[in-house]
Amino acid sequence: MPTASDAGPAGAGGSVACAVIELSHVSKTFASRSASPARALDDVSFRVGAGEVGGISGPAGAGKSTLLAIAAGQLRPSSGSVRIDGIEPRRFVEREGVAYMPQPLALPGGWRVSDALTRLAVLSGVRPAYTKHRVEAAMRELGLYDDRRLRVRLLKGEARLRLGLAQAIVADHRVIILDEPLEGMGPESLERLRELIVRLRAFDRAILIASRDTAELQRLTDRVTLIDRGRTRRPGTTRRDTPADVEGVFHITLHHGGEHVLAVFPNAISLGRSTYAVRVAGFAPLNRGLRELLDRGALLAAVTPAHAAADATALAVNEVGT
Amino acid sequence: MKGRLTAYAGYQLRDYFAIRALPTLVASGLAAWALAAARGVTLSDLDPTGGIDARDRIQQTFELVLTSFAFVAGAAAAHGVVARHRARGYDRLVFSRPLSPVRYYTQGFVLAGIGAVILGTVGAEVYAVAVHPVSLPGVAGYVALAWLLVGGLAFLLSIVTAFYLPVLTLVLAADLALDYFAGPLSAAGVGPVAAAIQLALPPAHVLVTLRAPFARGLPIDPGGLAWPAGFGVACIVAAMVLLRRCPFRS
Repeated sequence: MPTASDAGPAGAGGSVACAVIELSHVSKTFASRSASPARALDDVSFRVGAGEVGGISGPAGAGKSTLLAIAAGQLRPSSGSVRIDGIEPRRFVEREGVAYMPQPLALPGGWRVSDALTRLAVLSGVRPAYTKHRVEAAMRELGLYDDRRLRVRLLKGEARLRLGLAQAIVADHRVIILDEPLEGMGPESLERLRELIVRLRAFDRAILIASRDTAELQRLTDRVTLIDRGRTRRPGTTRRDTPADVEGVFHITLHHGGEHVLAVFPNAISLGRSTYAVRVAGFAPLNRGLRELLDRGALLAAVTPAHAAADATALAVNEVGT
Repeated sequence: MKGRLTAYAGYQLRDYFAIRALPTLVASGLAAWALAAARGVTLSDLDPTGGIDARDRIQQTFELVLTSFAFVAGAAAAHGVVARHRARGYDRLVFSRPLSPVRYYTQGFVLAGIGAVILGTVGAEVYAVAVHPVSLPGVAGYVALAWLLVGGLAFLLSIVTAFYLPVLTLVLAADLALDYFAGPLSAAGVGPVAAAIQLALPPAHVLVTLRAPFARGLPIDPGGLAWPAGFGVACIVAAMVLLRRCPFRS
């Protein structure tokens, strides 16, 4: 069955309704004064649609980071075209921004963790009333809250990775690009990352993850494209039959009846405080599930799309605070 | 975008005072000490009760300190704004946000200039209260002019090369040397060539000659200001154009 990435460049057919990140026949050559030019990418086409999580895998030096830097508008391709939402990436980034986790994470070592996240939230355009909440939520979600007063230079290994993820999610962007988020992650952080990806998955959001860990990437993403020495070795193969089944993640908050959630939504993840993240293939299955929950005696308090939930929570916290 | 950057301005100004103010003061103090030592000025020469000659020496020493501070503060205003950012890879993280690199860096550079003017003016005020009156608007104006010329050039160079500080020092020293040796060069018959070279260099020598009128609050010839100010503005505009074309290192 042809997949979206098999379909190739923009305008070609495919099952993805609205492509958000689209690289078409992209090549990148780095000039060198001392040696011959180095070809980092050679005719790579790739596509991540709205609501999808795409993966790029390959060994070290395969060109993954170059590909991500091009997708994030930080490098210009030598040939080929790159589009985010149909426009040139740099223009898109200056207009909307992307959640980008570079590898390695470069932040001034003298900044404290919470200060670094606050600054980056301000630069991302998080409204002042929400900044504190968003920063705290990101720190809690990534297990950095206890380290919030530490200087960035004191964070090593896994904690630094988590800071990289936290700075990426501190604002609510439609495009998320993560470079090697799995590198050196322990089981606990990996579990956090899995939950995070589930929570971040949204109708209008495209997520692109690069990693050497193909197996984990296959678990996290909808399809993985394998590249090596700058060339596509295996185009993305869709893990699920259609992208329709990744149409939405919702947060369901119950007044009571939480014990029925797993019976109705087997993939539900508890987020605490009687709130669950559930992934459904659209509004019809969501409504069917909610009806079944009600039939079983559960009392619903709220249902929100996952990516809107953070702002709603922030608003509630601020309203309570004022 | 403006709102985001306006909200971030406080951080940039705070960074100037937290990170660059002390090194600027130390570096300019050392530079002034070296220049004063080269001229044979000792602390005993700087006795305020020592009559007109002593007061004149004090005033000249203050102007020496002011010049050193203005040059160092001008260069420090651009230090780290682009080149260090790029060398450490902060640019990739910051400009994944919805920001224009041109506006971000220019705002940082302008705020560092404001910080330098505040620092210079406060220092001059302390000196005026403790030792001898000076023109505070003159000091502020002189530091601002140095920021425009030296800082503007440093801003441009920091976009072009990671070695902007040695290059900046070299071109400023070249201009000052050509000015210092203008007589012997003219006598050797290469005066016109030296003058032509000097036209392409930043007019640091003009900045040096302007220190006395600025510090003493004397009228300034606008024609004398035009060259350094114009050179600085041209550098800043060129820097902004370059940033627009190449916002990242590679």
